[in-house]
Amino acid sequence: MTRMSNDIVISGYAAVTAAGIGVLPLLDVLHNGGDALSAVPADIPGGAGQRWGRALSFKIADYMPPLKARKLDRCSQFAVAASALALQDAGVVVADMPPERIGIILGCGFGGIANSVDFLSGYFKDGVNGLNPMLFPNVVSNAPASNASIEHGLKGPNVTLIQRFCSAEAAFMMACRCIQEGRADIMLTGGADDLTPQMITGFAATGQLRRYASSFGEGSGMLVLESAAHAARRGVVPRATLEHISTLGLLLKGSETEGFCRLLEGSEGCDLLSLSGTTALDPQLMQQLPDVPTLDIAPLIGRSLAMGGVAMAFLLASLPAGQQGLHLAASPEGPYYAIRFRGGASVQP
Amino acid sequence: MNALTNIPSDKRQRVAITGLGIFCGAATNVASFRQALSGNTSAIGTLDLFDTSDFPSHIGCQVKGYDPLNYFDRRAIRKLSRADQFGLIAAGEALDASGAATFYSPYDIGVSIGGGAGGMFQSEQWLKSHLAGEKSEPVLLRGLLPDKSATEIALRFGLAGYQGTITTACSSSATAVGWGADLVAGGQQKAMLVGGVDTLSLLTFCGFNALKVVDPCPCSPFSLGRQGISLGEGAAFMVLEREDDALARGAQLYGYILGYALAGEAYHMTAPESSGSTAARVMQAAIASAGVQNDQVGWVNAHGTGTPLNDGIESQAVKQVFGEQVAGVPLISTKALTGHCLGAAGAVEALATILALNLRIIPQTLNFRGRDPECDLEYCHAAPRACAATVALSNSFAFGGNITSLVLGV
Repeated sequence: MTRMSNDIVISGYAAVTAAGIGVLPLLDVLHNGGDALSAVPADIPGGAGQRWGRALSFKIADYMPPLKARKLDRCSQFAVAASALALQDAGVVVADMPPERIGIILGCGFGGIANSVDFLSGYFKDGVNGLNPMLFPNVVSNAPASNASIEHGLKGPNVTLIQRFCSAEAAFMMACRCIQEGRADIMLTGGADDLTPQMITGFAATGQLRRYASSFGEGSGMLVLESAAHAARRGVVPRATLEHISTLGLLLKGSETEGFCRLLEGSEGCDLLSLSGTTALDPQLMQQLPDVPTLDIAPLIGRSLAMGGVAMAFLLASLPAGQQGLHLAASPEGPYYAIRFRGGASVQP
Repeated sequence: MNALTNIPSDKRQRVAITGLGIFCGAATNVASFRQALSGNTSAIGTLDLFDTSDFPSHIGCQVKGYDPLNYFDRRAIRKLSRADQFGLIAAGEALDASGAATFYSPYDIGVSIGGGAGGMFQSEQWLKSHLAGEKSEPVLLRGLLPDKSATEIALRFGLAGYQGTITTACSSSATAVGWGADLVAGGQQKAMLVGGVDTLSLLTFCGFNALKVVDPCPCSPFSLGRQGISLGEGAAFMVLEREDDALARGAQLYGYILGYALAGEAYHMTAPESSGSTAARVMQAAIASAGVQNDQVGWVNAHGTGTPLNDGIESQAVKQVFGEQVAGVPLISTKALTGHCLGAAGAVEALATILALNLRIIPQTLNFRGRDPECDLEYCHAAPRACAATVALSNSFAFGGNITSLVLGV
């Protein structure tokens, strides 16, 4: 199925972050100054004096029965909640649609690692008697997307991607392609990350608390994609229209100019800029960007591998109708993503 | 690359395979894998990568006698996980065979990988030492996440286009192949290195044993008395280009990625949906996306793990797709040869399918133990079979209900 390149719209979004549930608490943090980070408990090895973006106000019981939720890892709980909120925001009632026409493609960073650590710790401490088979199904990093699909009955395309700090953007691009190719009518996409004490210890051991893992965060940002025609048939006013996606895996030494041109071509006229991943830590990349108002959520809620879902939702919530927003994501050594949106109905109910 | 470039469907080019590479327990290059596929010897044997004495099963399909110094210098070895190393070796073979990397701009060549446990084999050694209160090497954690292999391959071979890692457990690399083919077919990339990598680890060995789905004997897909999987490890890669581009530069064509489809069952994290209806829907959608008819599909390279549940349900799903023609469409499993390579399984099996199509054979499903009444299709248990078909399906199912079917052709 062939579609026009500007035919994909974002009809809803949601965020679960250290700032709270939804995009509005994040906007409040931005407008009031300060941040939503908290102190890492001193009893976590390596965590003394550090801050993190734990989603402390998140309660899974608000979204699913606690007994059912106990089977899910924390990252899956974020994904289940954020996808429910995003579908609600987009006015999508799954039961009213063929389930095989709704899918989910999610970026996920350390998803599954918490369960992996717990599962292996049981073995290292107590041998085979310490193995808890209940933990193993959620050691896979596709658990959040799959648990969200199981909870909401989404039988369309289902994929999880990771690529460093651009994991959500990688998922977003593939989800767009699913709409373009006609593989689905509605796609949920974005990112989900959890943050555990063991991760802080690991970051400390590798020196990352002084680098890219300083003030790490967690949560989930989810967007609902569909074609403009599909949204119109549903009577939905899009929150934004997708205009362009470009990506590079690496910026090659000696041909950076060509790389920047390929990545940022057509971005000169943007009105609002969103930074994700390690973009703000890359002076060479920052020099290439237009001098326009800029949103950078990392200092507010922490940085994480799939933070792009939240960052894109935040951009769309802040983007006035008719204006162009550029979402830029980078990782150390790559990849890089530049995603352009045109603002629509940007006020989240 | 502009990911939203539209190519009208009638102008989408066929996606050709111009390079192949493999490094796994059954074979450490394409030539030896071709031989293994034609033979009747399973590569599943005793594991010595870690201590298995606590478990009922002590076997798997390990890359035995692997010495990284045969491939990398000491400095590189320190920075590369076992998965990174396997990935670099197989990717190098595929890129060498193709020659595409020297023909296009580096920004026009991307890498799409399916991953699984990534560098878990190293990272779990760090955890063990940490829990014991011993000093442990932080470098062991460097490759913890499976995306590092894609980055290492991109850096080593200067592939500056798309870079992404699919992590849908056992269907990861089948999806990575399909997604890479999309990027080539749509004109977003001139060439894509696609495939998967995964290695044995205590995490997966303990995990599948805890679920009691590891067979103490070499796995015997579709056989009576089968008890589960045998784990494997390895990496497999293909280089994809549009057919007209590949022909224009005089590349050798090994075959085509004709189409694919994917879906989630939305049923259970570990158990397959008993009717097989989603698996059947995905297979049928993949065939439709390839633009071929069901009667052109000569055989199916099954997910075929050897677990009691999977093999029966997959057989039912294949019946739903092929109906009365099913007797003429053998359902075989190469996992009895390679073990279950988890995140790399889809790529290993796609490669096996392409090689077999070129050889005009249907590989044998090894380790037959007896006819199971619930598995009443043709599985080529007796021997490889000659087959003139030019199209075959390769299935990958995963934890979470993720299902991907690839349609490959020559």
